Amino acid sequence: MAVMKMIIERNYIDEDMMFIVKSEIRLKILTELNKQPQSIKEIVKKTNMAYSSVSNNLNKMEYKNHVIKENRIYELTPMTQLYFNQLMEFKRSVDVVKNFDKFWDKHDLTYLNDESVNNITELYGSELIETNPIDIYKTHNNVKSQLKASENVKGILPYIHPEYPELFEKILQNNGRIELIIQKDVYKIMSTQIDAKLRQKSIKNGNLKIHILTNNVDIYLLICDKKMNLGLFKNDGSYDQNRILNSDTKESLHWAKNLFETIKQSVI
Amino acid sequence: MTTAIKENNEFKNVKYLLTSSMRTLILVVLYNERKNLNEIRNELKKPSATILHGLKELEDNNLIKKERKYYSLTSNGYLLATNVIKLINNWYSIETNKIFWNNHELSGIRKEFLNKLYLLKDVEFVSSTTSDLSNAFNTYMTLISSAKKLTIILPIYSENHFKYFIDLLKSNHLKHLRILVNTQILKSMQGSRYIKKSLLENEKVEIIESDENLKLFLTYSEDFMTLTLFFKDGHYDDSQIIIGKNKNALKWAEELFRSYNGYGD
Repeated sequence: MAVMKMIIERNYIDEDMMFIVKSEIRLKILTELNKQPQSIKEIVKKTNMAYSSVSNNLNKMEYKNHVIKENRIYELTPMTQLYFNQLMEFKRSVDVVKNFDKFWDKHDLTYLNDESVNNITELYGSELIETNPIDIYKTHNNVKSQLKASENVKGILPYIHPEYPELFEKILQNNGRIELIIQKDVYKIMSTQIDAKLRQKSIKNGNLKIHILTNNVDIYLLICDKKMNLGLFKNDGSYDQNRILNSDTKESLHWAKNLFETIKQSVI
Repeated sequence: MTTAIKENNEFKNVKYLLTSSMRTLILVVLYNERKNLNEIRNELKKPSATILHGLKELEDNNLIKKERKYYSLTSNGYLLATNVIKLINNWYSIETNKIFWNNHELSGIRKEFLNKLYLLKDVEFVSSTTSDLSNAFNTYMTLISSAKKLTIILPIYSENHFKYFIDLLKSNHLKHLRILVNTQILKSMQGSRYIKKSLLENEKVEIIESDENLKLFLTYSEDFMTLTLFFKDGHYDDSQIIIGKNKNALKWAEELFRSYNGYGD
């Protein structure tokens, strides 16, 4: 791949940026200055670092044109700010991976496309819901309460929980909308459990849209009115019912809708 | 003091992934493809001992795994490698067109799009020269003259541009022109009878009004995107333009437009 070649052959990280990345102190100073321009004293107070090392590093960074000083107040130069924000974006992606380590580890990520992995920081602020011995239905109950309160649901469902048909029925009765990407066999089972008249009516008026899958999609994605839920398959091919990543941020809903549309395009 | 100690490690993982060229390069080399030691050595052209040391470290941290002599990324390794590559490409993208990014007011490009400049990695930068003052402008005009469908965020009132748009609509090649402008500029446009009749009331034209102070001139069609910006002193700069023609650049432009259009259609 050309990109790889480029990264391997040239200096993979710009020297000026490496100078920053290498030092925790400099990274912290820039984090502070990225919030607002401020004096050495203020930075020292907020970071608990020694005055001498803050001042010493600010001097070095001023010399390298990362910061400029005016009336004792330091601020980032526009270019360093641009570079630094991308580093912070990278840090957020690392945090999303580390914070939900158990969710990703030994799980199948094949169905996350490049774009969704590149935009993984949109999942920052999610919550990992895990079952535990005293609450083994925690993940399901969480989803259930969302379905009860939603009017608009989109889902990629590798299985149907026995309670889903009834929940879906309620949504359709209230004139809500449901769009599902689902396997033929799973749909067959589900459809027998939803009132036939209601089902046909809903399909006719567009409230119920079903996209039938011919091959497997080993991912669980359910987008409700206010939250999105992501579930993964383990590397051994079984669905992990004990963990869902759940989030109500605008960014994560955007992430989930994008993934839903991409997978929809690939199956239609 | 516990908080201070904890905060001292805030960037630990970031540093781990970026400060050792060996660790970073192994993650990049194994991206999308499992490889054995020989293949890794051939690509990195480094001694086996150094590579083995890096492989061991990454394996201990559960970022790569070894199965029958072949190394590959774990799920976590894959997520992190993707984002390491994104960061390097983001930086590379700015580096390549440093003059453009450094010269201009960037507030018109929302932060999440500034963080996705890797999508603009392969754009072309066209600048006017003293011998050809309207090089960038002319390049733009030539480019849009072959488009069937255009979407534009228009931050300026420019009769030159309006005339050109009207000509394109008359020639019947341009079938759909969508323009997002702010209220103030729209009012000026409505003030001119000619522009009102030939542009605003043209059935091929769709006008979207925005109450924001727009600080970018963004254009895209089916197969290209362009961007021009304002100087930091507030003046519009038509002498420097970036032009993207691949899928990534188009995607960046479309999404940026959608963010201004309230994510509506």
